Amino acid sequence: MPTSALVAAAAESVINKLLSLDEDSESRLKPLRGARLTAFVSPLPYGITLSFSDRIDVLTEQGTFEETVASLGSKDCCIKTSLQTLPELKETSQLTRLIQQKALILEGELNVAQQVSALFQELDIDVEELLAQKTNDVIAHQAVNTVTAVHEKATRAVTWIGQVVGNALVEEKQLAAHKLAVMHFSDEVNVLRDRTESAEARLRKLEEKLKNVF
Amino acid sequence: MSDNQTSATQVDSATDNATGQTTHFGFKQVDKGQKASLVANVFDSVAAKYDVMNDLMSMGVHRLWKRFTIDCSGVRAGNNVLDIAGGTGDLTAKFSRLVGPTGLVTLADINLSMLKVGRDKLRDRGLVSNIDYVQADAEALPFPDNHFDVVTMAFGLRNVTEKQNALNSIYRVLKPGGRLLVLEFSKPTTEQLSKLYDMYSFHILPKMGQLVANDAESYQYLAESIRMHPDQETLKGMFEQAGFEQCDYQNLTGGIVALHRGYKF
Repeated sequence: MPTSALVAAAAESVINKLLSLDEDSESRLKPLRGARLTAFVSPLPYGITLSFSDRIDVLTEQGTFEETVASLGSKDCCIKTSLQTLPELKETSQLTRLIQQKALILEGELNVAQQVSALFQELDIDVEELLAQKTNDVIAHQAVNTVTAVHEKATRAVTWIGQVVGNALVEEKQLAAHKLAVMHFSDEVNVLRDRTESAEARLRKLEEKLKNVF
Repeated sequence: MSDNQTSATQVDSATDNATGQTTHFGFKQVDKGQKASLVANVFDSVAAKYDVMNDLMSMGVHRLWKRFTIDCSGVRAGNNVLDIAGGTGDLTAKFSRLVGPTGLVTLADINLSMLKVGRDKLRDRGLVSNIDYVQADAEALPFPDNHFDVVTMAFGLRNVTEKQNALNSIYRVLKPGGRLLVLEFSKPTTEQLSKLYDMYSFHILPKMGQLVANDAESYQYLAESIRMHPDQETLKGMFEQAGFEQCDYQNLTGGIVALHRGYKF
């Protein structure tokens, strides 16, 4: 079974389902009609192409990045990047830096990449409304409120833990003695112990002398 | 392949080579002139339930085989695509979106019933603007020379009487630089899978056909026609004989199906 086709089919179903849940996505999809965005994301073994019409078709690219670039049309864009870099692509201000660092190679129509990014980032799905259609208004409202509250608490907890760990690393760690200082302190303690033991021996000798005198 | 099937293939090849008057229709020998109408009867009978049966018989995997074919087609916006034996339009639907308003997809099938089912299905999906429907025999395609960027044929070639004629005809209508993709049942790559597949095709498939489409015979023909179809290497040789270059094939699902690809330069 061609696994790549299975992955593409699953991705296509999910993407189009998500878009169908946001009424405004149709207007954002319109300017992309006829365009293609191909992404080669290492370590994935093949490129993924999004082809835009009244919906999005997901294809797996059988050629290499260079072959795809050679056949780019006027409304096509092709990018090459890695999974680690992918989250950074959200920040458009970082694009120049990533291109300079060669963490991102971008060929073809840049507008297409920007419009695709906007299409997904501006996705606004009314989950409560969708849930209400399957259950009822009260259950949907309660469920969404609960999930939102849990999400907020979890986010706060993660932020707090992050801050605590950050403080510990940045501030408390500096207060802790350096490894060399600890070694020096240990040496000094050893010297002190030796001196104490020698003083103790001398005292014992003096005590014996005094006993002999009296 | 069982002994009976092997001998049937050998007899068939021998008859074809010796007299040129008969050909196979499943495991039967029939006059060459008869085969097209016999195949037409089969598809007239199964057209209405074709999609349901495909999903049922392959457990949905035929969709992945077709999707892989589309991935390998390299179709771009503005391309002129011919989908021969396109049947109910699975490939055409996707091609129609990929070529966009500046391109054109021609759905060709020799069988009018299948063509009508395909046309209705695609129209119901709103795909109307860039699709032509043509009833055509793959052996004598009614199109000008050097006309199409891509030609595909999914699960159709084995039903053609003279396969080499069909490949020659496709070569003629392809533009230089164009490519042909043939998705077709082939020979499983392992003995165990082959036995399992035989059992499924000859015992379960006809019963399924009887139950769902009320037509066991057509599905018996399907199983037989698959066994009579040239194996991977033979078909590749036929591609080369037609003039195609850089021919290769990829086995899918252990060779139950193979995707052959060739270019015209």
